[in-house]
Amino acid sequence: MAKVLEGPGMGLMKKWGIAVPHYVVVTSAEELATLGDANDWLKKSKLVVKAHEALGSRFKLGLVKVGLDLRGAQAAAKEMLGRQVGSITVSQVIVSEMVPHKEEYYAAVKSTREGAEVLLANCGGIEVESNWDRVKKLAVVVGDTPPHDALEKLAKEAGFSKDLAKKVADFAGKLFACFDNEDAQYLEVNPVVVRESDGELVALDAVTLLDADARFRHHDWNFPFAAEFGRAYTRHELDVMAVDSKIKGSVKFIEIPGGDTAMLPAGGGASVYYSDAVVARGGKLANYAEYSGDPPDWAVEVLTEKVCSLPGIRNVIVGGAIANFTDVKKTFGGIIAGFRKAKAEGRLNGVKIWVRRGGPREKEGLEAMRALRDEGFDIHVFDRHTPLTDIVDMALQQQKN
Amino acid sequence: MSILATKDTRVVIQGGAAGLNAARRMAEFCYMIRRPLNVDAFVYPPDAGKTNEVPYGSGLLTVPVYKTVAEATANHSQINTSLVYIGADRACAAGMEALNDPKIQLVSMITEGVPERDAKLLARYARKLGKTFNGPSAIGIVSAGECRLGVIGGAFDNLVACKLYREGSFGVITKSGGLSNEIIWICSQFADGITTAIGIGGDAYPGTDYVTYLEKFEQDPQTKAVVIVGEMGGELEERAAEWYGLKKRRIKLLAVVSGFCQESLPKGMKFGHAGAKEGLKGEGSARAKAEAFKKAGAIVPDTFGALGPAIKAVYEELVKSGQVRPIPDLSQEDLPKLPKTVEEGMKAGEVMVTPLIKTTISDDRGDEPCYDGYPASELINKGYDIPHIVGLLWDKRLLSKQEAEIIKRIIMLSADHGPCVSGALATIIAACAGIGLSQAVAAGLIMIGPRFGGAVTDAGRWFKHAVDNKMSVDEFLTYMKKAVGPVPGIGHRVKSVRNPDKRVKELVSYVKSLGIPTPHLDFALEVEKVTSAKKDNLILNVDGTMAAVLVDLGFPVDSLNGFFILARTIGLIGHWVDQKRQESRLIRLFDYLVNYAAPKRREVPPLK
Repeated sequence: MAKVLEGPGMGLMKKWGIAVPHYVVVTSAEELATLGDANDWLKKSKLVVKAHEALGSRFKLGLVKVGLDLRGAQAAAKEMLGRQVGSITVSQVIVSEMVPHKEEYYAAVKSTREGAEVLLANCGGIEVESNWDRVKKLAVVVGDTPPHDALEKLAKEAGFSKDLAKKVADFAGKLFACFDNEDAQYLEVNPVVVRESDGELVALDAVTLLDADARFRHHDWNFPFAAEFGRAYTRHELDVMAVDSKIKGSVKFIEIPGGDTAMLPAGGGASVYYSDAVVARGGKLANYAEYSGDPPDWAVEVLTEKVCSLPGIRNVIVGGAIANFTDVKKTFGGIIAGFRKAKAEGRLNGVKIWVRRGGPREKEGLEAMRALRDEGFDIHVFDRHTPLTDIVDMALQQQKN
Repeated sequence: MSILATKDTRVVIQGGAAGLNAARRMAEFCYMIRRPLNVDAFVYPPDAGKTNEVPYGSGLLTVPVYKTVAEATANHSQINTSLVYIGADRACAAGMEALNDPKIQLVSMITEGVPERDAKLLARYARKLGKTFNGPSAIGIVSAGECRLGVIGGAFDNLVACKLYREGSFGVITKSGGLSNEIIWICSQFADGITTAIGIGGDAYPGTDYVTYLEKFEQDPQTKAVVIVGEMGGELEERAAEWYGLKKRRIKLLAVVSGFCQESLPKGMKFGHAGAKEGLKGEGSARAKAEAFKKAGAIVPDTFGALGPAIKAVYEELVKSGQVRPIPDLSQEDLPKLPKTVEEGMKAGEVMVTPLIKTTISDDRGDEPCYDGYPASELINKGYDIPHIVGLLWDKRLLSKQEAEIIKRIIMLSADHGPCVSGALATIIAACAGIGLSQAVAAGLIMIGPRFGGAVTDAGRWFKHAVDNKMSVDEFLTYMKKAVGPVPGIGHRVKSVRNPDKRVKELVSYVKSLGIPTPHLDFALEVEKVTSAKKDNLILNVDGTMAAVLVDLGFPVDSLNGFFILARTIGLIGHWVDQKRQESRLIRLFDYLVNYAAPKRREVPPLK
């Protein structure tokens, strides 16, 4: 899943015919002033200024300001830009017109196994959270388009009056078109409002999650995807992502501050069982990592260097199931090179390394790992006869003693 | 018995290199169970009309590549299954093409990163047609003793270690490819092994869910228990639990679910497979799934490590109740073996091979080449030079500094002789005709022969003959006139006594200044005295001088032309690069440079 910020998210909705308020995304107060000269609405409307970053609870953080004129908006932008929240620096703000309205509604389209679900409620904002039973759903099988009648019926079920139900159905149809054509995984508009000036339904806020795997057929996705963690990616994480995008197979790396058990396991499935084992034994994960699909040795070496550079680690878990086609000797070659580099840089002092693996060329790979003992590594190597996660038990048992 | 992948499964593989690799793995399995290869065809438009070679035992099988699935099934009527190894952007179309073929009942897709919408469309279409679509991101399906689809099961040694040559009693369904293999191994160590293992892929919406396969396993009498390796995210595990709990089932169900670590991670931090994501409202957590399985009566070990003993307990119960009869293990010598490669056989001392060629100068098998036993880098680091490499590779000896200096000078003096000589001219003409470097240089080298540059060997041979036989100059010239002809190394087209060749003077005076014995050079110079007195241009030429000096240094006669070839190659490369740099155009002779002595134009007589 790939999260998209409000600006590009609203852009996609607009593309599919959904009315959205006027908005601009700017990186400086001066830019906003210049845009004010060109856009009438910036001078005439009341404005909302929001930090345009992947941050939760922006309101609480003072990163949403409402009811401003252009001058006030400039001041708010100036104040927000450059603010540091956790690991995220506010580098963009989105400035949009306030749309005078009375009622707020809710509309969403959500991915399901069979296709999608259209969700409608005749309440919006925070009210919908506490009245989830008022949300009415319509299932749509993939490849189908919900007929207008069905959407109108759904709107009526959700409590919209006759005239409004038609408009809501029309809005939901456009939202579905956007979902279906843009390879979205989740689209949520909360609130949907009736614009007082012309009675049209307008999307005031958008949550957009897209299927990053579909990027190859959306050449107009010229925006970056936001980190899903509520924090920015670290430099090391970005380095590994850059490697990952270049290779056959994959390497993944996420830092978890404060942990002392470093993870360097193979396989998207096994890696999570290893993480589970660490947590189950009372250990603290220092990271998540994973390599799979027979990646080149240099990519595994980069991953290893990143894992070894984690602060305060006491154990490194080089786990893995019995590989189908990942060459154990080759990938271990990358890990060994990474270990050597780390050691030469003075890392891994007092750190225990635990290895368990099987697969093509397992004998040679495990033998090479065992040989690291002669180079002064505190390494413990096990083969397929030791159950998958036993090395975690051993590592954490020793750590306790 | 087994499900999905059986003895009757015949396969078309859609894909290029990755598909071919899978076919090779599948051939190993077929060989292990002594059945013919189950891959009948490939579909890969870029290679359509060609064939792929798949090793089977000690031989090679040839499998045709087609442009479309329809062509493949038209030519191979037994095909009923397709494996898709096509990139994510074309995977959907490839899967649809396979599903559309009336002969194909099962499609398994290994491609990762397929858009969710595509996966759902494929699943829907398969359901509509009553076919099975497995994947995407699915490692494959293997039925012990019957059929392997894809690379599931890993290398040959692992197939044997996991006893996949004969069926056991456990079915396996996993999302993860690596863990499917791990469970197959566990089932073979803690129980009697598997019937069928299926990787359904770790995406958010696998084409076929656990329930579909559980129902098939329930119908397969050989399968007594099924192991599910689940992951957090989605609701497939809950549905499987629901199915199991609905009524009394014949099969026993064991299940583990990963993702418990999420509970103690910072909020919003998710990892693992694409499908391993909690719902927006927290549904699909590992704990919820494990609880659902427990509630339905499945055996749910606390950790992955406890799965082995749990499987063992189920197996022992099955044996005790008489549902399963233990299968005796094969003895070491009865285990299936893959034929060894020649290299492996030689390593094991089992085969002897008569070498095809023999070399006495060079060995490249280490981390760097050794010339006559000396590592190249060590020669460099100890100050040796190019002439020493010539000495090692041409005459298998380490030259002295003095000898190397003479060789160096010979190369420097003969590196080039302008654009007009046969060799350079040929190279230049070729370069102007747009011919590449190696061919153009070869054109120049071809000119080296009895009349141009190629007299060194012959000159050396006859000077050596004379010195070895202690001939006087007169005896030598008489002998040459009678038995050979003109003396090689004597005579020049343009140089003469009055217009001497400075290269010769330079080389002669340097070698003489060293004070080393030079019997052949001395003899050659005596010969020149006599011949040049007879005719002005019958001087010792550069070929003859080089020849005499090199024979004096002890180089074998047959290597001598090599010095000219080596040296002049430098010049020829220079001429080619020079023409290239100037972007020279095609050249041809002018008419006035040709004496047209052919008959005048005349009428062609009628054909008789």
